[in-house]
Amino acid sequence: MRTILILIKKEFLQVFRNPLLLSILVVAPMVEFMIFPFCADYEIKVLNIAFIDNDRSQISKDIIHSFNSSDIFVSKGLLTSKKEADEKMKHDKIDLLVEFPSHFEESLYKNEPTVIAVTANAINSVKAGIGTGYVQEIIGGYMQDFAAANTPSNMSAAIAQQASMQSNSASFSQGEDGERQSNSSAVMPAQTITPPMPIRINISNIYWYNEQMNYKNLIVPGILVILVTLIGCYVTALNLVREKEIGTIEQVNVTPIRRWQFLLGKMIPFWLLGMAEFGAGLIIMKFVFGISVQGSLPLLLGITAIYLLVMLGLGFFISSVSENQLQSMFIVLFLFIVFVLLSGVFTPTEGMPGWAHKINYLNPMSFYIEVIKKIILKGSEFESVMRETIVLSVMAVIINTGAVLSYREASK
Amino acid sequence: MNSIEANQLTKKFGDFTAVDHICFEVREGEIFGFLGANGAGKTTAIKMMSGLLLPTSGTATIAGYDILTQSKLIKRNIGYMSQKFSLYGDLTVFENMQLFGTIYKIPRKELKERIMDSLRELEMDAQANTLVDSIPLGWKQKLAFATAILHRPKIVFLDEPTSGVDPIVRREFWKLIYQAASKGVAILVTTHYMDEAEYCNRISIMSEGQIKLIGTPEELKKQMGVDTINDVFVKFVKR
Repeated sequence: MRTILILIKKEFLQVFRNPLLLSILVVAPMVEFMIFPFCADYEIKVLNIAFIDNDRSQISKDIIHSFNSSDIFVSKGLLTSKKEADEKMKHDKIDLLVEFPSHFEESLYKNEPTVIAVTANAINSVKAGIGTGYVQEIIGGYMQDFAAANTPSNMSAAIAQQASMQSNSASFSQGEDGERQSNSSAVMPAQTITPPMPIRINISNIYWYNEQMNYKNLIVPGILVILVTLIGCYVTALNLVREKEIGTIEQVNVTPIRRWQFLLGKMIPFWLLGMAEFGAGLIIMKFVFGISVQGSLPLLLGITAIYLLVMLGLGFFISSVSENQLQSMFIVLFLFIVFVLLSGVFTPTEGMPGWAHKINYLNPMSFYIEVIKKIILKGSEFESVMRETIVLSVMAVIINTGAVLSYREASK
Repeated sequence: MNSIEANQLTKKFGDFTAVDHICFEVREGEIFGFLGANGAGKTTAIKMMSGLLLPTSGTATIAGYDILTQSKLIKRNIGYMSQKFSLYGDLTVFENMQLFGTIYKIPRKELKERIMDSLRELEMDAQANTLVDSIPLGWKQKLAFATAILHRPKIVFLDEPTSGVDPIVRREFWKLIYQAASKGVAILVTTHYMDEAEYCNRISIMSEGQIKLIGTPEELKKQMGVDTINDVFVKFVKR
């Protein structure tokens, strides 16, 4: 016991005397916390849009005009040729191009199908997807107004197409707007009418657990996870191997100390530091980002404690199998990137192929981020995070056994 | 009783034989010198005897304990000073001694007394709270030795303890070695300095993993027909 205590004391003395390590432990997470949530934002706030109007009709002008009233679109004006548009898109001057065919208005009034071409720069596929979605919404909205203002017999196929496209792309509950639906279709019941009557449906979304669709609510807990992982894995992986490099470990290895004593003396200080960092992270989360823990705090701390054990064990395992700090740094970096990208910290895991999901069963971070999201955002109880807790506990036992066994006092 | 008895101790790294069937013994209170060029196998031999490295074949008993089966008991009875300075530079002199003393389970109060005594002997009591990184190399080496004998081991292994140290500190260092030996501690020391070899009770000259010559400095000089150990070494190398 006295041996472990003196080792803990030694480790703390060293941490607090090492300005570089201190800044890694204190400054880096704080900076990450203060900057990253404001930058890692999937929300598209500005879309540059340009138009090619081959029709030059009242309707095409009206549609173009309706883009101006939207906050998100910045109109880059009318272009004269496709070539000009290509050039602008190449140089990132515009994100979207809307092209009206000639005789657009005429076709509408004649009830003939017509097509508005929307071209998006899909280098950023999220932006392109969201952009074309908005364009559809605006054109669709205009068409519905247009349809309402005109007699139903003037409905063009294009409008119908627009409307159905819209309803395909959005998931919604029809029941909610049933009243409105029956209003607009009252004149002619849907079954008896050809061409089909566009149904006017307003979709109103409610996002559970993150009502404002605030990306910070996703990002901030993610950063918390990264923080705990970095402290747990990175710092410990470097610590033990550093002793190998400077030779102090040899001096320790000739003493009668037991290897579990030595490893405990290393783990406890970093475990405490990790928990302290996590606590500080929760406080920042609450007072800077206004996200408070919805579920039980002791439960959250308890599972974090287990997760930290997994990461500490992994860190020590890495540092006992590597020769120098450079090696262990590369291993940690590699694992860290794999963990983050697969775990769903910043990207949803739902779209991943099956094999990726299988790999994720080995990824402690993917279980932990689930727990974090569930407890912090949803306020889940223990039952709904039990599976993750069990998996993390098993991982903690396995990896720490591995760490103790791989740490050799005497080499062969 | 012999403090160290090595019997056909051998270490191979792949095809390379670092230590080749060495046999020797060191008595209590004896200062035994390990001489040899770099790569002769001195450090490997020391590492095997102090439990840092497992031998490929052969065995040794240290303080009466077998290195293959009783390494925990051996560790309690030896002190070790590696070639590389290996106290914690970011801890103070006192903290380092306290750390290692505690690991050896020296009772708290006694430990403090022992540390103060040994610092007084080294005339380093003023530096007790100085970070080890900021004291000169010679003092560091003396400190490392004092730390290695703090738990009063029966045997101390010193791997090139005086390399890079000025002659005055070297002489002081050897005074410390003599002091320890006079208390019955067996000392196994490796060195490059031939004048230091003269201070040893017995020396062995290693080459290619084997002990080629062994005896007291006087015996070796007589055997080779020269006046100094330096000449013994030169003549041996030329042979």
